[in-house]
Amino acid sequence: MASASVIEMKGLSKTYGSGEGATRALDNLTLNVNRGEIFGYLGPNGAGKTTTIRMLLDLIRPTAGAATIFGMDVREKSVDIHRRIGFMPGELSLWEGRTGNQIIHYVASVRGDTKGIVKQAAEIAARLQLDTSKRVRDLSSGNKRKLGLALAMMHAPELLILDEPTGGLDPLVQQTFHEMMDEYRDKGKTVFLSSHVLSEVQAICDRVGILRDGDLKAVESVERLTQVEFHTVEVRFRDAIPAGLPQQLDALPDISDLSANGARLSMRLVGDFDPLLRAIASGYVESLHIEEPTLEDIFLAFYSGGEED
Amino acid sequence: MMNGVVLGYTIRTSWKQILYWGIGLGILGFYIVFIASDEGIVQGYANLFESMPPAMLEAFGASDLEMFRTTEGWIVSVFVSEAAIFLSAFGVLAGLNITANDERSGVMDVILSLPISRRAYLLERWLGYALIGLGIMLLCAAITLFSVAMLTADTEADKILVSIMNIYPGTLLVMTVTCLLATILRRRSVAIGLAAAFVVGSYVFSIVGGSASGFVADLMEQISYFSYTHGEEIVLGTYDPVSAATLIVVALIGFALSIRMFESRDVGL
Repeated sequence: MASASVIEMKGLSKTYGSGEGATRALDNLTLNVNRGEIFGYLGPNGAGKTTTIRMLLDLIRPTAGAATIFGMDVREKSVDIHRRIGFMPGELSLWEGRTGNQIIHYVASVRGDTKGIVKQAAEIAARLQLDTSKRVRDLSSGNKRKLGLALAMMHAPELLILDEPTGGLDPLVQQTFHEMMDEYRDKGKTVFLSSHVLSEVQAICDRVGILRDGDLKAVESVERLTQVEFHTVEVRFRDAIPAGLPQQLDALPDISDLSANGARLSMRLVGDFDPLLRAIASGYVESLHIEEPTLEDIFLAFYSGGEED
Repeated sequence: MMNGVVLGYTIRTSWKQILYWGIGLGILGFYIVFIASDEGIVQGYANLFESMPPAMLEAFGASDLEMFRTTEGWIVSVFVSEAAIFLSAFGVLAGLNITANDERSGVMDVILSLPISRRAYLLERWLGYALIGLGIMLLCAAITLFSVAMLTADTEADKILVSIMNIYPGTLLVMTVTCLLATILRRRSVAIGLAAAFVVGSYVFSIVGGSASGFVADLMEQISYFSYTHGEEIVLGTYDPVSAATLIVVALIGFALSIRMFESRDVGL
């Protein structure tokens, strides 16, 4: 993977309104997205993800800071940049009275290469099982998203910017979308993808930025985030939980969130397993279930104030 | 860089407006010509207006009662004043279509993520609706002139044609003012309200300014774009095309301001 940055944001801030009614949507965001990676931009609704994307597209202007794409200023060279990128907004609106084919032709014409782009759009539509002969008003929200993806990807852009791309897509199409993203990465192209679907980010992204209330809380590789050293452990005893074991476990510094349910004990373990294994050996352990933390667990850990960035 | 794609798309998706508006106004023209073809009715109306205050005449776009005594005078006075109001409504709707409707629906996000500058987009949209407006004028003029040829004799059709086409600069101005308001205010509902106030205000100013005298009345008349249709001057042969050119220049200045506003602000909030 080449290390050159495709997207560079330096001190990017955005405040809506002024005076007492001002709302800070993004605060001093500095972030680089490298060529050939799929970058997941995570955060709940209102965290500032869409604001960031809209500034990258020059739809809105930053209050402070600057951003470049392909080394070009997003404000000064927006047309040159847009020629090389594909974008799908989170709240996708298209011309309701037009068919998918008409919209594809129109967008391809604005891009200046109707023939090649339209052919590629047809291939993408076929993969996503989209009927482009229907009018937009007759499409389901999932099919509208498919059309949005086709419009964003049909000219094989060097950079894809996708805002919540898979909302409304059925699981099979989501799988196809994930495959397409992998193909993008394999071709050395870059994807900047916002989402609040953590499993999706976990499945396709190389790195993740976690945004909260307009602040970038962490930027980590997905691999690193999933290596955070805690595990959820569930122990099931054959008969009953040995007397005094809960108190004994509770006293261990690496164990938290301990709960008992019948013959089952569940807990969160930080660090080594040895003290836990020694403690539970006093009973007959029927099963031991150890779960890796999901990105959601990590996400919640960041959001509960336990940020470690 | 303009490549004409948006212009072509705008015309392709909105050309039916030329038919709807053009035929609608053409029917109005036919109706007025039909009335004008009856000498007795025209003279009857002229006698009726004689007993009315000057403001009533102004409402029909004339200050001289003699205008209502000739066939072309009658057609121009009645048709131009009514068509100018209808075409003002077209101007507001077209002005909203340039940016406000797409911005409100969210389509603008998709458009402006494409390799087209805000300036080029606005220019092609404005030009598209300006051409559609021109198409409406030409169709409506064609139907009206056909009606004149069929129903009347010895009527100066060229004066009627010039009078109808002279509504166009005012229509262009209303469209541009609405576009400017939409690019400044972003909120479509406020832009509609202010554009409507501009049209109604201009109409009232035209009538009040034309029927009264003095500095304020003159100013009101000069401010109103309705005063620049000049149907009476065209029929009487005293028309100066500079005033139409003035409206077009004002519209172009307004459009340049629209571009500036649209380029400098956040889009689609």
